[in-house]
Amino acid sequence: MFGQFGWHALTLLLIAARWTVLLSALAFALGGLAGFAVALLRTAPSPVSRTLTAAYIEIVQGTPVLILLFVAYFGVALIGIDVPPLLAASIALTIFSSAYLGEIWRGAIDSIAQSQWEASESLGMTRWQQLRHIILPQAFRISLPPTVGFLVQLIKNTSVTSLISLVELTREGQLIANATFRPLPAFVAVALIYFVLCFPLSRFSQSLESRLHVGRQS
Amino acid sequence: MSVVRAESVSKRFGELTVLSDVSFDVPKGRVTVIIGRSGSGKSTMLRCINGLEEINGGNLEVLGHSLPLPPKALRALRVEVGMVFQSYNLFPHMTTEENVMIAPRIVKGAGRAEARQVAHRVLDQVGLGDKRDAMPEQLSGGQQQRVAIARSLAMQPQLMLFDEVTSALDPELTGEVLRVIGALAREGMTMVLVTHEMGFAKNVATEVLFMHNGRIWESGPPDTLFSSPRTPELQQFLNAGELRE
Amino acid sequence: MYQFNFTPVFHNLPKLFTGALLTLAISSLAILLGFAVGVVCALLRTNGPKPLRALVSIYVEAVRNTPFLVQLFIVYFALPTVGIRLTAVEAGIVAMVANLGAYAAEIVRAGIDAVHRLQIEAGAALGMSRLQILRHVVLPPAIEAVYPSLTSQFILMMLASSLLSAISVGELTGVAQLLDSLTFRSFEIYFVVGVLYVLITLVMKAAFQAIGFASFKRWRRLGGANLVFAPLQRFRRLLTNGRSA
Repeated sequence: MFGQFGWHALTLLLIAARWTVLLSALAFALGGLAGFAVALLRTAPSPVSRTLTAAYIEIVQGTPVLILLFVAYFGVALIGIDVPPLLAASIALTIFSSAYLGEIWRGAIDSIAQSQWEASESLGMTRWQQLRHIILPQAFRISLPPTVGFLVQLIKNTSVTSLISLVELTREGQLIANATFRPLPAFVAVALIYFVLCFPLSRFSQSLESRLHVGRQS
Repeated sequence: MSVVRAESVSKRFGELTVLSDVSFDVPKGRVTVIIGRSGSGKSTMLRCINGLEEINGGNLEVLGHSLPLPPKALRALRVEVGMVFQSYNLFPHMTTEENVMIAPRIVKGAGRAEARQVAHRVLDQVGLGDKRDAMPEQLSGGQQQRVAIARSLAMQPQLMLFDEVTSALDPELTGEVLRVIGALAREGMTMVLVTHEMGFAKNVATEVLFMHNGRIWESGPPDTLFSSPRTPELQQFLNAGELRE
Repeated sequence: MYQFNFTPVFHNLPKLFTGALLTLAISSLAILLGFAVGVVCALLRTNGPKPLRALVSIYVEAVRNTPFLVQLFIVYFALPTVGIRLTAVEAGIVAMVANLGAYAAEIVRAGIDAVHRLQIEAGAALGMSRLQILRHVVLPPAIEAVYPSLTSQFILMMLASSLLSAISVGELTGVAQLLDSLTFRSFEIYFVVGVLYVLITLVMKAAFQAIGFASFKRWRRLGGANLVFAPLQRFRRLLTNGRSA
């Protein structure tokens, strides 16, 4: 099957995979920062803050990534500049990540028992002190498995950016499939590379999950 | 001066009235014990004293301050009022020593060395000087509760509140906790306790309040209250055996 | 300055609704079939012979660690080279069923694992056959337990159906792309389509709530009308932050 396919094509795919990795890392980092703010706003005392953030999360999570991508792409184009696909992709995936990570971390914060809030409150701590010293350190551990799991989702979602012609792994696969008339080895190779990127992370997330439950014997 | 003064305090949760017309006085250096069935409002009353719950009516003065207080003043009050919970609520990600040191450091601004000194002192006071580096999950329930007491003591409060602090413990472990609380009382700490420990109340309390349906049904010194209940409700409560000897 | 003009979009709402209907139709079919595949695989994974278990594991891991778009391309573009030629819609549905099946398998498996062994032993003690135990004792509580995860995944699959536009299926996104090429009002079109997807998501969530209510007796007995109005409850809780009073 891989006969005519050869090392040349594989090299092209691996080079294109750079963009997959870069885009994932960028969206994860920026989306992570934004997501942290989202999580804090979502659990803030102010009902306005909570409702608006919940609406934001609901909207982003209720929209396909492809549509987010198009809106970002054509939205940026409105200010008249020629939009590099990488920019639109970064914006769309950052927004995507901020909502999902925000929701994950919100869940982790919510899972910390009310009694921890009360004990620290009774010692005279401010809300920021409670978050910084008592709540967030505990929430962090709990949030690790789903956060790593989300990273896997993010890497897979970068494939959608091929549809705005960003030449990452999937797009390169399409180009090679069209050039060689051999879609099967092309796309299977693409799938294998994604697998190599994602599978170790999935495994890692699972091991974090089991270690979390072993450590929590009450 | 009264450390706690309540006048006709009332509290609702939505439609449910949990406290009505509660009045009592806790003078300095005295120990007040509150007893009653679950749902009688005793824990709620305690939680109102340090502001975890807000009263809806009446007057509540703690250390001269009238509750409810704005956030900054409330935090300042909480430095002077220590609270120990039924479920200890230790911070699981910190060692015993760190648990005791954290509040003096970040709330009172103490330096690390100073906070550590205080921590060692109070941990010795509760008999856990050798458990400084243990994690909460490595300690027994009784030990965890004593750490929780030490954590509150490290703030050098003027008033200590205890919310059923032995109810979650196995009987063998309650003794060590009650001994610590008794010692605190003898040293002159002003305290309000919600408890089922009748023997403890008889030995240590200056006044016992029996709460029923959100009101103070009977009050008085422990000897008279326990031996000669005036109302049928208290009689029933004592007979029901909810209190431990 | 760019002039926003939503009129062409609103003129074409009928076309968009047709696209939305196709999205719903394809998604519903994929959900039903994918759920069935998932249940079968989960059962094979927990109760089947070793080689089948391994096969299911490989299938699940392969699907969950590769992008749906690539899976779609393989089904539509690559399979013809080995003789399997599908129309765009057929390929879309096959890819969606294969994808959802893997996720559902994993989710349902977790639900099955969570059913306490004692329940199964009780069924066996009553003389039930293995199949009867699975059908009556294991699967119903398993599915009820993982219902939220499962329905979340179903909704994700509906959102993923937008990628079928890449192989020229005329579902909602496909229609949007068509309108884009006709009117060049790109931003307005995709913005409105985004709103439509959010609406579809909300409708599906409500539908799944209703289905759950109809299917799970426990929901009816324990939650009553509360569960039908769960979104309203959530909204109320949002405003009060879950704190009492």
